[in-house]
Amino acid sequence: MVRKLLLSLAIAASTLAITGAAWADITILVPSSSEGDGLRAAAADYSKVKGSKVEIVQAPYANVFEQGANAGSTKSGVFDIILMDDPWIPFFAENGHLEDLTAYFKKAGIEGPDNDFLSKSLAVCRNPYNTGPYVCLPYVGNAQMFFYDAAKYKEAGIDAPQTWDDVLKVGKTLTESGGGRYFGYVFRGGQGNPVVADFMPIFWSYGADLFNADRTKVTIDTPEGAAAMKTFIALRDVSPKGVESYNANEVGTALAAGTAASSINWPNWVATFEDPSQSKMVGKISYTTIPAGTKPGSSEIGHWTMGIMSASKNKQEAFDFMLWATSPEQIKISAERGNPPVRTSVFSDPELTSQEKFRHYPVLMAAIQASTPRPRHPKWPEIENAFGIELSKAVAGTITPEEALKNAQAAVEQITGLK
Amino acid sequence: MLKADNGTLMAQLRTGRGLERWVERHLRILMLAPTVLILLTLTIFPSVYMFYAAVHKISPNPDLPWEFVGSGNFARLLSDGQFHVALRNTIIFTVLAVTAEFLLGLGLALLLDKYIRRLTFLKTVLMIPMMLPPIAVAITWKIIYEPQFGVLNEIMFRLGLPLQAWAGDANLAMFSIIVADVWQWTPFIFLLMLAGLASLPVEPYEAAALDGASSWRQFWDLTLPFLKPVIAIALLLRVMDALRLFDLVFILTGGGPADRTKVLSLYVYQVAYRFADTGYAAAISLFVLFATIILSTWFMKRMRLAE
Repeated sequence: MVRKLLLSLAIAASTLAITGAAWADITILVPSSSEGDGLRAAAADYSKVKGSKVEIVQAPYANVFEQGANAGSTKSGVFDIILMDDPWIPFFAENGHLEDLTAYFKKAGIEGPDNDFLSKSLAVCRNPYNTGPYVCLPYVGNAQMFFYDAAKYKEAGIDAPQTWDDVLKVGKTLTESGGGRYFGYVFRGGQGNPVVADFMPIFWSYGADLFNADRTKVTIDTPEGAAAMKTFIALRDVSPKGVESYNANEVGTALAAGTAASSINWPNWVATFEDPSQSKMVGKISYTTIPAGTKPGSSEIGHWTMGIMSASKNKQEAFDFMLWATSPEQIKISAERGNPPVRTSVFSDPELTSQEKFRHYPVLMAAIQASTPRPRHPKWPEIENAFGIELSKAVAGTITPEEALKNAQAAVEQITGLK
Repeated sequence: MLKADNGTLMAQLRTGRGLERWVERHLRILMLAPTVLILLTLTIFPSVYMFYAAVHKISPNPDLPWEFVGSGNFARLLSDGQFHVALRNTIIFTVLAVTAEFLLGLGLALLLDKYIRRLTFLKTVLMIPMMLPPIAVAITWKIIYEPQFGVLNEIMFRLGLPLQAWAGDANLAMFSIIVADVWQWTPFIFLLMLAGLASLPVEPYEAAALDGASSWRQFWDLTLPFLKPVIAIALLLRVMDALRLFDLVFILTGGGPADRTKVLSLYVYQVAYRFADTGYAAAISLFVLFATIILSTWFMKRMRLAE
């Protein structure tokens, strides 16, 4: 009898858990990282204030894309909102998975997002980039910055790195004297997204790009690309052994443990480096914009943006939530919770800028405004994979940098159908 | 009144008996029905759907119809360089990992069966890796292999040996994955071999000993032939499982560095979920399925299991 009762309770509990999402007014798919945690906290606040139930479904980075794509292609309507990494926007928008927000703004009596948002933050939310209608709203203002241990750099003769040559000079000095336990530079060399994300800013800073301006040609295998690749491989030589498999965690750990002096990194790591329970480098890491090559440095933008799924049955509720969550007040609360903002007023809020933990805000704002988006193409995941394989081979030394550029050029031409 | 009631009761009884007889007649079908239904839903339908998907180009846009491409997706397999890399890596992994697992598993079983038969505790300990979830095994080995803070490099450092990147080194990555797989699955072969050894007849060994046959001769002429069916089953199951390798690669290397550990399951996952090319992913999956069936059938015939 007791066993039957327990079994019934277990089944009832499971059913409740499974159908929990169906009872919510809005269901949001978010990554299981600080960005997703921030929106989860905001959702809890919204439920308290507005009395509606917001369900958050968290998944690892890659799975957010997969679950969103599945929900979109099957029109399941299981998610009302998806928190997307900005390079995914063309895929979702051009396959009909995202709602055009124009009508919703009109209904709300506004033309579109207000001017307090950074212009680059808004540009990624339009499809096509910066010209099309809004298909999402920016929530987390990620753009890469250059993180470095100022004291170590000073020891090596550079106050603040301005160029990649400065970084290489310091890198060589520190790595040579590090005895295999300390390194001048560290980067994400893991095949696919990691290595591409950490190569693109270097690629751009030498005037190279994946496509020409009007997107009619693939332009990877160029003299500019070769110059960028030369620097990238030189940086590999001053990085830890095994950097070929490094992802964000390994890079973050190396900086926080004080075993590497510098790296390109994302602003959400600032909180980790400033937390004494997770970092040996509290207050010791400095931030600057991406160093220059032959051209000024440019960060890769990696904003997290909220879009309404086309198959959602609660579109108006979803839009209302998005407007609320991206308001200046909420973006400020989100910033206090550790997520980089997307609004000028929050970046310049004295309550925040007076705090040590937000000392990187001026650099971050400049980095966003000088950022470049990854090429906006619906086949970006495939392009990134192909480019990432060749970069990984170059970093691992199984092919020459020249071969890597040539192969990547051919692979991207085949994927895009461009010559 | 009483008569009428009796009549109704009799009719009900007759009906009840009729139902009982019907149930008895169809008992086999009724007992099998739930299993058949589950099989249809979970196996037959997805398989048929996969065949259907494999001959179509499927757009991630739900408003676009599926385009029939016939054998187009299968023809792509011939010219897809990434597929060839994944196929080659899968074969390398399967051959090396299963061979190592077999040799170690058999060796351990012989050792424990002959010399330390009573140590049941040791046998239990040896089986622990097999019982762990693959994802836990993968994360454990990721921590062991970590170049800067991992246990393995710490030992190397203390011994004054050169530090290695292990899973991050293009030349060591596949080896690192094989070691982790061997650690997890050798106990499986060991368990089967141990059961096989326990069921061997004693008389042939006594006769061989009387004839002066050495231990090696006895192993080669008696133990191995007797164990042949068990070895065949063990190898077959391990080969089938190795062809489906995913967890270790996904966690340890993600297919890198330099594509050295990209295996077929990982490639299917990427094509289906990262590139949203479901039709082509179904075609690759079917290739793997048929390759496994053909390999297994050939193997069973070679080992004369089919008889």
